[in-house]
Amino acid sequence: MSFDDMLKDLKAREAKARAMGGPERLARREAQGVLNARSRIEAFIDPGSWVETGLLAVSSIVPEDRGKTPADGKVAGFAKVDGRMVAIASNDFTVKGASSSATNMKKVGHVKRVATERGFPLVFFGESSGARMPDNMGAKGMGTNLGHDPQQYVRTRQTPWASAVLGQCYGSSAWYTCLADFVVMRKGAILAVASPGLASFAIGQKVEAEDLGGWKLHSDISGLIDRVADTDEEALDEIRRFLSYMPSHCNEPPPRASIPAGSDEGAQRIPDILPESRKRAYDVRKIIGCLADLDSFLEFKPRFGRTAVTGLARLGGRSVGFIASNPMGKAGALDVAGCEKATRFTVLCDSFNIPLILLVDTPGFVIGIEGEKQKAPGKIINFMQALQMCTVPKLSVIMRKSYGQAYLNMGGGRNSDDVAIWPTAEVSFMDAHYATEIVSWNQQVPEERKQEIRAAMEKDSSAYGLAEIYAVQAVIAPAETRRYLIQQLEIHEMRPSGGVGEHRMAAWPTTF
Amino acid sequence: MATTEVTSEVIGSVWKVEKAAGDALAEGDLIMILESMKMEIPVEAPVAGTLSELKVAPEDSVEEDQVLCLIES
Repeated sequence: MSFDDMLKDLKAREAKARAMGGPERLARREAQGVLNARSRIEAFIDPGSWVETGLLAVSSIVPEDRGKTPADGKVAGFAKVDGRMVAIASNDFTVKGASSSATNMKKVGHVKRVATERGFPLVFFGESSGARMPDNMGAKGMGTNLGHDPQQYVRTRQTPWASAVLGQCYGSSAWYTCLADFVVMRKGAILAVASPGLASFAIGQKVEAEDLGGWKLHSDISGLIDRVADTDEEALDEIRRFLSYMPSHCNEPPPRASIPAGSDEGAQRIPDILPESRKRAYDVRKIIGCLADLDSFLEFKPRFGRTAVTGLARLGGRSVGFIASNPMGKAGALDVAGCEKATRFTVLCDSFNIPLILLVDTPGFVIGIEGEKQKAPGKIINFMQALQMCTVPKLSVIMRKSYGQAYLNMGGGRNSDDVAIWPTAEVSFMDAHYATEIVSWNQQVPEERKQEIRAAMEKDSSAYGLAEIYAVQAVIAPAETRRYLIQQLEIHEMRPSGGVGEHRMAAWPTTF
Repeated sequence: MATTEVTSEVIGSVWKVEKAAGDALAEGDLIMILESMKMEIPVEAPVAGTLSELKVAPEDSVEEDQVLCLIES
């Protein structure tokens, strides 16, 4: 073969690999308004920055599949996103349902390893039917394909991982999604352990795909996803936005951004949002919107664990994570889902050197049988332990109510580096009425005696009570809060380590 | 014309209804107040438009995510 012919042969092989599962399958997707594995990459990255790895890889298990498995169904490589390097694994469903087999698992392992060792984020575009068959069948199939990487599913948060659920995600596609720091799901996609077909077949449970693993299930009930998107393109935008807050790896501080004009004006509106009546609820997201740099708040899991609000934002150009109690949900009383959400978010921020801002208006934890069945004490203490192990700066603002153990969970006392309090705040162990009932429970206490007890319980619960004993560092006006937090972020910058925390929870689970 | 369903954030009951069907609404206008866990939960218009239908009345019990009213915009 001449040199020219060799080059022609190479070009032909490359073109065949880039043609994926063929024009018919690609056209069918296009007609459905769904991008394919390669158009997703193009839509996601800076133009012209794609460097592919394993383009000519094919099936290595079933000889007849060699000509039918372009890129072996998983497109992998490196590219720039907003000028920064990322690794990408994009499942090609048109090639054997992007099922996992020996060659493509090596490709995914490679980009994962390079991203981790060289320090940049890893992004998965999930759409896979699971393990390839018959490749994985039988003792030899199992022994040949599985279990060669003892670190395959170890998440140590050295670099950020993001995952988009863009089709059927079963098996490894689901596992990698659940290991990611940020998950966006397109409506219509499915995330589950196994397909509805297998569920029907194996356990006789007739299930609809949406009921088994649709976006409503995961956004409202399981909390396994952070955001929902209507289209592939929107989902990719969400990941780009997430990455904009993140450092490339855990040993550098997050990037700084310029401060949009008008960012300082919002804080003046807080007194209009905060109701005068302590019984009136408000949406704490409005307060966050006033405190953060203009339009910089990216909320995580808005429909899951709604008693707490979590999300990334910028304050004075710095990335920060907000954890706020939301009086709109269960009066702001933290429940099991709220604790899980706050724990996971605390671990994320701590692992990537992002300071935490806690906004407090909570009457305590949700109590009762339902919560106990869901391990409420364990969830509460997971969150508490996460907060205490956290080494990034923690700033807490007590806006209104802060009661009982929730006072500690939301950063009260030395659980934050600085606690500020608004004059509207009230802090105590519990409501005086409840306290009176509890100490007189099961006893014949006359009403006059109860009134005496109650008077004793109604101690000063004002902001100034805490300020006088230096249990808070400052009493501030709501409209001053943005300025105060920006000053505190500067004071608490982690100078000795160059802005890098200790990451003591880097290997904690990604769900609780 | 698009119809927006306004849903309840909480389990509770309707305490006060501040607007009537046919009223024009600006985004953020208070439509009704629910009561849940001894708190007053305001229900505000997520979009501007016309309140086309009220699906609840004072003292009705409401479930989480229950549709409370419709806005045409």
